[in-house]
Amino acid sequence: MTKPFKLISTIAMSALLVSVMAACSGNNGTANNESGSTNAPKTGSEATAKPDAPKPALKRLNVWAGEDYNVYPVAKLLEENTGYKMQTDMLPQDKWAEKLNLIMSSGEAYDIVTSYSDMALYSDYAQKGALVDLGPLIEEFGPNIKAALKPESIEALKVNGKLYAIPTTVTYEINSSILIRTDWLEKLDLSMPTTTDELTNVLTQFKEKDPGGNGDRNVPLTIKGDQSIIDNIVGAFGMPNAWNDVDGQLVPRVLDPSYKDYVAYTGSLYKNGLIDREFVANKDATAKEKFASGVAGAIVVHWADIPALSESLAKTKPEATFAFVPPLKGPNGEFGFAANAGFDRLSYIPKSSKHPEEAIKWINASLEPETFKNMAIGVEGTHYKVVDGAYEPIQPIFTDERNLANNFMAGTDETNYPQYWQARVRKNPVMFEAFDFLNNQQPAEAKVTNLLGLAPYMQQYAKNNQQLNTMIGDYTVKLIAGAESIDGLEDFQKKYMAAGGEASSKEVNEWYATLAK
Amino acid sequence: MYRKTAKDYMLDGTIYIVLIAMGLITLLPFVNVFSKSVSEEWAIMSGQVGIFPVGFQLDTMKFVVTSSQFLNSLWISVIITVAGTLGSLLITALTAYPLSKRELPGMGFIIVLFIFTMMFNGGIIPNYLLVRELGLINNLGSLILPALISVFNMLVIKSYFENLPASLEESAKLEGARNLTILFRIILPLSGPVLATIGLFYAVYYWNDYFHPMLYINSTSLKPLQLYLQDIVMNADTSSALDKTADDLMNVPAEGVRSATVIASTIPILLVYPFLQKYFIKGVLIGSVKG
Repeated sequence: MTKPFKLISTIAMSALLVSVMAACSGNNGTANNESGSTNAPKTGSEATAKPDAPKPALKRLNVWAGEDYNVYPVAKLLEENTGYKMQTDMLPQDKWAEKLNLIMSSGEAYDIVTSYSDMALYSDYAQKGALVDLGPLIEEFGPNIKAALKPESIEALKVNGKLYAIPTTVTYEINSSILIRTDWLEKLDLSMPTTTDELTNVLTQFKEKDPGGNGDRNVPLTIKGDQSIIDNIVGAFGMPNAWNDVDGQLVPRVLDPSYKDYVAYTGSLYKNGLIDREFVANKDATAKEKFASGVAGAIVVHWADIPALSESLAKTKPEATFAFVPPLKGPNGEFGFAANAGFDRLSYIPKSSKHPEEAIKWINASLEPETFKNMAIGVEGTHYKVVDGAYEPIQPIFTDERNLANNFMAGTDETNYPQYWQARVRKNPVMFEAFDFLNNQQPAEAKVTNLLGLAPYMQQYAKNNQQLNTMIGDYTVKLIAGAESIDGLEDFQKKYMAAGGEASSKEVNEWYATLAK
Repeated sequence: MYRKTAKDYMLDGTIYIVLIAMGLITLLPFVNVFSKSVSEEWAIMSGQVGIFPVGFQLDTMKFVVTSSQFLNSLWISVIITVAGTLGSLLITALTAYPLSKRELPGMGFIIVLFIFTMMFNGGIIPNYLLVRELGLINNLGSLILPALISVFNMLVIKSYFENLPASLEESAKLEGARNLTILFRIILPLSGPVLATIGLFYAVYYWNDYFHPMLYINSTSLKPLQLYLQDIVMNADTSSALDKTADDLMNVPAEGVRSATVIASTIPILLVYPFLQKYFIKGVLIGSVKG
């Protein structure tokens, strides 16, 4: 080879590394304008039956969904009922917030943006003046919106006294509990545990008598590595939520006087081999695998995970039956589940929208009670039937045509939607039974509302919350697994306060004091 | 001549076995995903699927490859890959050819300019602004235009051109051929191996790129396969359940569906390799110059 080649190839090789890392090589010398189809909103909506002034086509940005919004049956329904043609793009599943930031800052002309409920992001946009103040628009064009939203939802979303978003509120209260093999209970002649002591006894029997015949692999209770705060058990120690009322103050779990007791209890379960020995290394799928293959006697899961588990268990262990454990009473008689409050999604109108008034009119039209009901659960007799006052889905059309309906909503009929929504849970009877047990059959006192769910935007809390929760979670794992001793709690508490816990706590309790009045 | 002893055969055998075993190990994750894509969901869920499928079925695969979004994304990816590769090869060869001529004035300076862009570039945000100002947001052009030329690939082609015998061009000139004719009728046909190799580099880049579409593409109907794949795979990550509503959890695609999507979107680009293989082996130049 000639010398220049060697030289160039050395330079080129080293440069390759750089260009590979930059993941974006080269620049264009020629302005080769590859004109593809410019995606301008299509004009002319032939489906509009209404004769009044021509309605512009609207553009919406929405969260990721498994199917294309624009061809989903609900899109057609909404186009017919609102008279607007809507073109919807969607955010990616992963890192959606980054993409949304990019789009918001580049001034793309979307008329409605719907994202997951991220209060920090939302109030950031609102404070930077990126969003349209919805108050006057709703006053003028939004009678249905006013009727649909509850005042407390509106209050919670106000930033500096103005409303910039329309929420989709959460539709159910309780997420998860301990799912336990009832056939194992029967085999050992045990009854469903109702206290933490009974739970210990049941798990001990599971371990000693091995009712599943799993030998060495037998696991009484499996959890995943980041699940050191075990729903239901944590309620038995009076700390169902991340922040709980202790003598009139909201206190995070790690500062809660009961925290020590909780850790002592779960730590002893682990030490005695009643909690999965490998739980620290368990991923979501590993824990589920153990329950689905019949190796584990109990698992902590969301009710929405049940269909997959039940289907699998039916094949591997046809005799298996399972149920959620009811709220356990702790040593001091406390019990309860964390109850969701707040929002799933927020819809707002960016300043760059070309048709803010039309966007509000569209939202208003979508919340017209009959339209909303049709969007949510379809037509009676076609998509659903009413059985004992409850909405039962008719399959498969309900799944085919309404499964993604929730994604189309910009605001919900907050009074009726939770009832409509349960039709979606009834798609799977096993899942509904579990859901029903947790959400409909529990007494009100077993549902401890997450007060912070409806709290207004708090800067320190929003900034630190996720990081502090991770901190507590990691620390609790170490305590349960015996890698740290509870004697170090005070040191950890100091670290926690310094890492933003103090600022958050102050802010949260200032707000809490106003609420108590 | 040295003759292999029994000991040598033993040693060779051991080396072969170890190397083959290590090669197979790298294949295992792929085989595992493939097995999941053709297994029953209950078997995957309970952790029974390892190397071999459990409860063989093809319904999942059929469901994936007939879904309209998958087909649409596949089509978009094919368009980008084919148009991008052809465009890139053309532009790259057109740049490399003059630079392979030593008599080009100011050549050193031009090369430095090119090399400079390999080391430094504006970064993501300036690139985004540029693409936006060009009106290419949400347009497939945004995925092709910025990547049309890779300087590294250009340099490889350039050095290949430099090593072609100068007498070929001289004789063509004597016959009255002009520069473009020489490039397209003589140089490029003789450059099969390098064009195939660089073409494969480009094709794999265009096929696998998900970062740029993630930035520039908003419409569902314009999403290439990698973006679709990413959405499907990330969807299952329930550890970030904070963002997820119960509706999302109820709609998480099954592991089998995810595996089948991964397999279905990998196969097309894998198929390109065997077809290009022959160009890597064949020495086109052999026999072109006598004496």
